[in-house]
Amino acid sequence: MGVVILLVMAVGVAAMLTRKLPTAFALVLLAVVIAFLAGAPLTGKESVLDTVLQEGASALAATMIAILLGSWLGKLLEETGIAGTLVRKIVEFGGDRPVFVALGVLAVSALVGTVTGSAPAAMLAGLIGIPAMIAVGIPKVTAAGTVLMGIAVGVPFELPVWQFFSTALDLPIGTVRGFMVKLFPFALVAAVAYVLVESRRRGVEHTWPLKAARTRPSRADRRRRLGDAPWYALLTPAVPLVLALGLDVAIIPSLLGGVLYALVTTTRPREMNRRLLRTLYGGFEVAAPPIALFVAIGILLAAVKLPGAVDALQPLVKAVSPQNTVLFILVFTLLVPLCLFRGPLNVFGLGAGIAGVLVATGIYPAVAVLGMTASYNQVFGVSDPTSTQTVWSAQYAGVSPHQVMVRTLPYVWAVAFGGLCVTAFTEL
Amino acid sequence: MNDDHDLDLAVRLLAGTPTHEGRDPALLGQWARTASEFGRRMTVRHQTVRVVERDGGLEAGLFARYRSRPPVVEVYADTVARAERLVAERGWRHWFPEGSVRAAALAHEQAHAWLHHAPVRAEFKRALGHTALRLGRRRLYAYVAGADEIAAHAYAQTACGLGRSPLLLTEALAAAVSFESEN
Ligand SMILES: [Zn+2]
Repeated sequence: MGVVILLVMAVGVAAMLTRKLPTAFALVLLAVVIAFLAGAPLTGKESVLDTVLQEGASALAATMIAILLGSWLGKLLEETGIAGTLVRKIVEFGGDRPVFVALGVLAVSALVGTVTGSAPAAMLAGLIGIPAMIAVGIPKVTAAGTVLMGIAVGVPFELPVWQFFSTALDLPIGTVRGFMVKLFPFALVAAVAYVLVESRRRGVEHTWPLKAARTRPSRADRRRRLGDAPWYALLTPAVPLVLALGLDVAIIPSLLGGVLYALVTTTRPREMNRRLLRTLYGGFEVAAPPIALFVAIGILLAAVKLPGAVDALQPLVKAVSPQNTVLFILVFTLLVPLCLFRGPLNVFGLGAGIAGVLVATGIYPAVAVLGMTASYNQVFGVSDPTSTQTVWSAQYAGVSPHQVMVRTLPYVWAVAFGGLCVTAFTEL
Repeated sequence: MNDDHDLDLAVRLLAGTPTHEGRDPALLGQWARTASEFGRRMTVRHQTVRVVERDGGLEAGLFARYRSRPPVVEVYADTVARAERLVAERGWRHWFPEGSVRAAALAHEQAHAWLHHAPVRAEFKRALGHTALRLGRRRLYAYVAGADEIAAHAYAQTACGLGRSPLLLTEALAAAVSFESEN
């Protein structure tokens, strides 16, 4: 039966790869099929309807709220001009040294990456950051990659991701945080190396473009016209981080703290209510795709954790899972490309299910699975040419997502290798 | 009259450059004037840069591109040819003599290369006079995004003896090309 389950998973991957089915729908279908194959009854204890669909759907509720709050804060950063002001200051101070601008945008991306991660962060930092880098002479592929690598520096400290790993792998937040702190230096070094090395290799680029940049007044433009955010408001992205990392505050209150800080530092009391509601509802829109995905992942996790599924999969997975430290690092480093192109190790896809299998069957300790998935997440978040943030950044810079993948993959592959080494030597 | 229109084009270019959203148009006008003046007066010591002719510029939306590593200027022959035809169609020959588009493209990119020299950059920033930080009597001048583009066009206009700013060509050609692709 285990073989059949794996075959079903393969079909699911094929459906996602060929875009026959959106990832979230494919995962729910997979979960239901796996549950039936595992011999689960329709209703009652450990059943398809009550356990997998009912309980699974809300299993990651805390993650969903965290994502929503992150998106809310992201909307506030945009509307209050905090993100735009940060980029403008960087260009004013260092515009004639393109590397300085790139490093600055990298830092801004990292900061907003800790707040929302993925696509919203890319837009927040990239909307002004990417054209600003291109305007000072950074080549387009480097510019797109810089925003993505920057977000990946923030991702180890992305609070909704902590919540996700904590719930999905059943680990205390402190343990998740402990590993992320060790993963962070690898992401940071790789990102700074990316900017420095690529700037050295590609130099600067200037064009005489056919189309002169022209003002197209948009709604966002008019809002930004309201002026610069005050300097102390620029600290907003760091607030949730200081609360959660420094003061040990739980994740949802930490994010709420960020929302409050952004509000009181930028908004007159009369306008607070309207701004809060407007940005909150805007946040829902931004958070819709990841929340849909987390509903589906919760359902898939519930399915692979059914006793029938665990029993069927355990001997198979155990037979192919390397136990030796060096082999663990080697095998999982070589498997890195499988988290690209909606592949089976994509953490926000079937990869979450596989992580669930590894934990439920007890093949690796949950902390080791955390290390593995978090390492893969560093690759997926930057280089996957099918993920929203990579597609958006590349296209906004005027290059193809594949170009960005080729240029960034060596760096993030090294980060994954580093993360897997830490995992193997400390947790296995 | 024509100078006013050229200046207006330069201001619009600045206004459309990121980081200038919501800036006072008067300030943008002052920067555009200063940058044009700086570009006109620039004495560019030409580097020996390899020049290559390429195709596909209309598709990529480029007249020319300068890359510093290794130093190379790419001139897009199809865009240049199309621009020459446009000059003839509009009766702008007295402003843009035969062959001047390619010369302007080269001069534009040479100007970019020149503007990367540290002393030139510092002088340019001082001329623009935008303050990033003031500490007592010392002040740190800010970089003005888009200003080097205006200086590069002004330099090309002077160096190639053009009657109008190459920005006029940019705008007219962009309009013509998008009109053709829509019909
Ligand atoms: Zn230029």
